[in-house]
Amino acid sequence: MKKVIRLGAGSGFWGDAMDPAVELLERGELDYLCFDFLAELTMALLQRQKLKNPAMGYVPDAVTYMNTMLKTARDRGTKLISNGGGVNPRAAAERIAEGARAAGLQGTRIALVEGDDLLHKLDELIAQRLPMVNMDTGDSDFAAIRSRVVSANVYTDSTGIVDGLAGGADVVVAGRVSDNAVYVGPLAHEFGWARDAAHVNRLASAVTLGHIVECASACTGGMSSRFSEMPDMGRVGFPIVEFSADGSAEITKLQGTGGRVDLFTIKEHLVYEIADPRSYLMPDAVADFTSLKLEQVGEDRVRVSGITGRPAPDMLKLVVGYQDGWIGESMAFFPWPQAFDRAVKARQTMLERFERMGLEASQVHFDFIGVNMLHGPGAPKPDPGVANQLPEVGLRCAVRTRTAEEADKVRRAGSHLWIMGPGGTSFGTPMKPRPVISLWPTLIPRSFVDQKTEILVS
Amino acid sequence: MTKIVRDIAYVRSGDKGDVCTAGLIARAPADYAALKASVTPAAVKSLYGDWVRGDVHCYPMDNIEAVVVVMERALGGGATKTLRLDQTGKSLGHALLRLPVVG
Repeated sequence: MKKVIRLGAGSGFWGDAMDPAVELLERGELDYLCFDFLAELTMALLQRQKLKNPAMGYVPDAVTYMNTMLKTARDRGTKLISNGGGVNPRAAAERIAEGARAAGLQGTRIALVEGDDLLHKLDELIAQRLPMVNMDTGDSDFAAIRSRVVSANVYTDSTGIVDGLAGGADVVVAGRVSDNAVYVGPLAHEFGWARDAAHVNRLASAVTLGHIVECASACTGGMSSRFSEMPDMGRVGFPIVEFSADGSAEITKLQGTGGRVDLFTIKEHLVYEIADPRSYLMPDAVADFTSLKLEQVGEDRVRVSGITGRPAPDMLKLVVGYQDGWIGESMAFFPWPQAFDRAVKARQTMLERFERMGLEASQVHFDFIGVNMLHGPGAPKPDPGVANQLPEVGLRCAVRTRTAEEADKVRRAGSHLWIMGPGGTSFGTPMKPRPVISLWPTLIPRSFVDQKTEILVS
Repeated sequence: MTKIVRDIAYVRSGDKGDVCTAGLIARAPADYAALKASVTPAAVKSLYGDWVRGDVHCYPMDNIEAVVVVMERALGGGATKTLRLDQTGKSLGHALLRLPVVG
């Protein structure tokens, strides 16, 4: 068994830059390159694409990336692990296999991991009298949204990825496994961890390291509060984890790349999007982030050790996406002098238009851009004397409606301001209404989830 | 002049559903006690007014000198349906830097 496994982070989200991943693959001497492509909303968007075309439903980048990198990956002995299968891992795996054949890489083994998609099993779950309570709101009336459901995916653990690797996979493409399962899977496979008490701290450690690097450059200087001090961020290096058999690890990046790895870049991501740090709940293990120790052990090199945890929870998070009306939005920008007064009067004018047009909206929201759009009541209350000295102020309006036609009234009322609004105003391009997919997160017993792994050979 | 949290801490924030989570990290170990004392559920609730409609929890992390602030019902319904531009609360957490430092 190898003493240290080297994993690279290849993508922090669908839309991330590919060049840092290619650089890592070429120079990182990696055992694995791991890609997170999914966000909470992504599954619903992909499910809609699959409805229109049953051959779609995966993240297109996931296929492009694999086809671009496969030859180098096979030459280097680096395995590629992603959750880019979205709601159709099988189609993604087939496209990757076709790409491999076209590139002359016969014999490439592509594992697809399914079982997270419960859209067609929802009624079974309901028939089993699962409470399906919304974790965010406490609402238990799931029947009220049942007919509008478009997606239902459960955050699954890394066992399907482990099975794929045990089957000799060069590429693993999964659906809605947890973000950090793409890191935990390779480690559990390499070190042969059983899912028992003896390995719980090491699983928790893998979960923690996965969490730290899963947003790629977010732990190497991206999004940093010290961004102004970070060198060459347009050429940022994505992180590398060197994970040891004892559960400790070092995080680093390639020499000559931009960004930085230091105690603060790691701390910043450790605290990102978590709830109680003593119980970071993931399908593979519960990690206690207050147990770990960080040390700077070299330039761009931080050691993480001492992580403890608890066994994986019996319940898994199921996120149901459902259609929930429309959003209409408009923006306008006003110049000095008296920019703030102009924005206030424009808001009044929009409200008068809404009344005339008979807008039916469940929510109407206004922001003063440059004044309180980002922090709302957390921003200082606007003092007209000061706000009117600003070089420019914007007005943003957003409304929730039942139909697209109602939402479009906001675009129209915003356009009416072109001439009936204050002089000197700029508008940009009007925005079309967008459909809303709301999410209903709930917990279901693990026993309802049946992960399946299959290997295609090109 | 009164110190504010901005003088002693860094911040990163984001979302999970309708929950906004923000991590505040002491710039120096000596700042950590003041950070913990200054960032309380009551102070956070009063800062954000009706933009944070649920409970607020503040979890200390002594090992890395940080405080994790978890704000429930804080994103106007969550990223996919909120009417705010800052759909995922990436900007929202920065307002915590305005809190006065106590102690």
